[in-house]
Amino acid sequence: MSGIVWHILAFGVIGIFLAVTVYRTVAIARLPVHLRWELAPIPHEKGKGKYGGSYLEEYEWWTKTRQRSRIAPLVYMVVEIFLLRGIWKRNRPLWPLTFAFHAGIYLVTAMLLFSLVSSILIITEAPPYVINVFQEIASVLAVAGYLMGGLGAIALLFKRALDSNLRPFNTTTKYFNLVLLGAVFISGAYAWFNLGDFAAEMSLFIRGLITLDTGLTIAFSLSLHIIISLLFLLYLPWTDMIHFVAKYFTYHEVRWNDAPQDEKMKRELRGLLAQPVSWSAAHVGADGKKNWVDLTKKKTKDEEA
Amino acid sequence: MKKLKLTDIAKGGDSQLIDIDVDELVPLPPPYDKAEEFPGFKQLTEDQRERLVCNLDGVVSYAALPKPKNKAEEKKYVKQFISGLKKLLSKENNWTFLQPLLLSLDYCAQCQTCCDACPIYLGSGKNDLYRPTYRPEIFRRLVNKYIKPGGKLRAKLTGADIDLNWTTITRLYELSYRCNLCRRCTQACPMGVDNGLITRELRKLFSQELGWAPKELHEKGTMLQLDVGSATGLRPNVAIDNLKFLDEEFTESTGINVSTPWDKKGADILLIHSAGDIISFPESPIAFTILCNAAGLSWTLSSEIPGYDGINYGVFYDDVQLARVATRHAQIAKKLGVKKIVMGECGHQNKALMTVADRMLTRELNIPRENVMTFLENLVFSGKVKFDPTKNDFPVTLHDPCNLVRNMGVVEPQRRILRYLCPEFREMTPHGIENYCCGGGGGLSVMSDVNFTDWKVNVAGRMKFKQVLEAFADHPGPEIEKYLCAPCLNCKLQFRDVFEYYGAKEKSNLIFGGMGELIVNAMAIMKKPFLSWEEE
Ligand code: SF4
Ligand code: SF4
Repeated sequence: MSGIVWHILAFGVIGIFLAVTVYRTVAIARLPVHLRWELAPIPHEKGKGKYGGSYLEEYEWWTKTRQRSRIAPLVYMVVEIFLLRGIWKRNRPLWPLTFAFHAGIYLVTAMLLFSLVSSILIITEAPPYVINVFQEIASVLAVAGYLMGGLGAIALLFKRALDSNLRPFNTTTKYFNLVLLGAVFISGAYAWFNLGDFAAEMSLFIRGLITLDTGLTIAFSLSLHIIISLLFLLYLPWTDMIHFVAKYFTYHEVRWNDAPQDEKMKRELRGLLAQPVSWSAAHVGADGKKNWVDLTKKKTKDEEA
Repeated sequence: MKKLKLTDIAKGGDSQLIDIDVDELVPLPPPYDKAEEFPGFKQLTEDQRERLVCNLDGVVSYAALPKPKNKAEEKKYVKQFISGLKKLLSKENNWTFLQPLLLSLDYCAQCQTCCDACPIYLGSGKNDLYRPTYRPEIFRRLVNKYIKPGGKLRAKLTGADIDLNWTTITRLYELSYRCNLCRRCTQACPMGVDNGLITRELRKLFSQELGWAPKELHEKGTMLQLDVGSATGLRPNVAIDNLKFLDEEFTESTGINVSTPWDKKGADILLIHSAGDIISFPESPIAFTILCNAAGLSWTLSSEIPGYDGINYGVFYDDVQLARVATRHAQIAKKLGVKKIVMGECGHQNKALMTVADRMLTRELNIPRENVMTFLENLVFSGKVKFDPTKNDFPVTLHDPCNLVRNMGVVEPQRRILRYLCPEFREMTPHGIENYCCGGGGGLSVMSDVNFTDWKVNVAGRMKFKQVLEAFADHPGPEIEKYLCAPCLNCKLQFRDVFEYYGAKEKSNLIFGGMGELIVNAMAIMKKPFLSWEEE
């Protein structure tokens, strides 16, 4: 394949991936403020988060300054994201499978970062031994990531297909997602074993992309891997696999959102309460014109009399 | 046990989807381990089967669910359901929960991790119908198929095709009341997906669009409360009379003078009990009167509609009703000019007014609100009332109301009180924010249509009853008096049904009650015990 095609493919796919991911993230972020629906434990509650307590435990809490920890939620999320705390705690038999799968994703992502740095080092003509260090690390990350991810994907596929607990909830989409991501890992592993120096080839490929080198050529096994990976990247942001974005919101914006009203929220709330309601049940009394405030003014029998 | 597919929900017309077999439920410890000793489920009669919609699990929670007379009527309901779905997904009609709903609909990984967290699923012996994921996944697939562009084709291609017909709708309605909204499943979900919330949204759709809601929550719940003052039907003058009677009775029997203040303008605190407590558990409101008077607080009750009934069932099924009740409560506090509102011992009442409705109470209605456990803790440790903890020298365990604990993070105040006042306090396993729901959460405790109570005591309340018994495993028999502290009206109503059904008083000498009663029982000034194990 000629170099220019690689450029169009790679930048095109990365562009679409970023655009759709950003669009979906912004769409979630721009949803209106909702009613409070927090759920313990909330790690930012200083001194209380550990046992699930909240500032509401304080006597006359509104007279006190809220004690919020910035570190605890970060630590909570890091452990959740990288070690899958929730699954470890609640679904231990699934943990080794899904951990291998997710670790594969993290290791391959790390490998790409190291390859990017090493390609920049190549462009800037850094000393070869420095480049080597980065490529060695990238190589280890790659093989570990591809093998773990591949095994994880295969194991999860079997689990989905065979476990009577999961089977009723399967859709072809769920299988397809696993197969596609599994193909990314397995093609990556194939390229790693097939090429003499996977990391060097990867760095050169990235260098070619960055420098817009139209003479860019790569080996078949790596091409195959890159094409499958680009297909995956193109597909990813349209699916529920971008739960890495959604998870930020389910935790920070719902479970841990225990904020009392502030000025900004008050302004937003006034706008939301002024929206017309059109629910049809008789007791709601909506007509498509009355807003939330109008509807809450339902009179009691005594007042009507 | 019958294995269920998601698509089964739409099949079989009027026929029942599953049968509940009591032998398959999770076993209870002795002497409650012989299912045949208890009444079991009331089977529906032929006549009931003819008249009522009973196509789910042989249990009917809402006898008034309409049965369509012909295909055209069936279609009308299906259309209404779809229109409700659209409104649930719109900002104007559902800004209140749009973000959490969309997140929960779009990002479930179907890992089933949440299932083993659900007390109903566990109690049922892992019946597929009661999986926390069953109902939400059907709902999700209906949204994807009927609301999203290209949904019908995608549903066919991906094998996620569920038909929306009369059977689906009515089964979903019933199934939305087989959940306590306790959110234990949510806590277990690594994605943060909220199956409890989805269930509540489903209930909202039925209520706000089709006008279907259990009569105990709606017609005789929020509607009655807004009309006459209380969901119990208790009118203001009767509420005042009842409390007056309790004041006099206590004064007479103890020689300690108490009186409950009503409608005192400018008092510091507006205390809002649940009228259900005034009627069914009067020892709770009188305990508060005794304590507030002993501590010399400036406080008042309100007799304005619905200021003497703090419940807000809207939190279980309807956002408009939630807003109406909460607004009325806040308006009453504003009129009285109090510095803060304190809610009585009722979990959902505390949650509704303190957190869920917080963003509906704007401007001058945003009056400071304090939860009841913190209020009591401050009172107990204020030094204004003298206690003698030896008076509470009997085994006590604590039930954590989900709304107060898991959903509000009020965990320690009640424990500090019990550790101080009850020498034999012991925790259940699990407890605190990981507690099991009493089985009456989500409004179920007040629902008793047709044979619904049988389901509550056998299935929904099973895990809780089991862990209560296990907490007293050192004294399982009736020789020693034991106390289950359940600081919530709705939980107490559920325990009343469960204890009665299993004969917990006779078999284990086990009673339940609130926190206020335990505190009063430990007051040094009390000459004789406030708590009694004798039947009233
Ligand atoms: S709700 Fe959460 S825990 Fe349950 S199946 Fe979905 S992702 Fe898994
Ligand atoms: S909210 Fe509670 S009762 Fe309902 S599904 Fe979840 S765990 Fe079960």
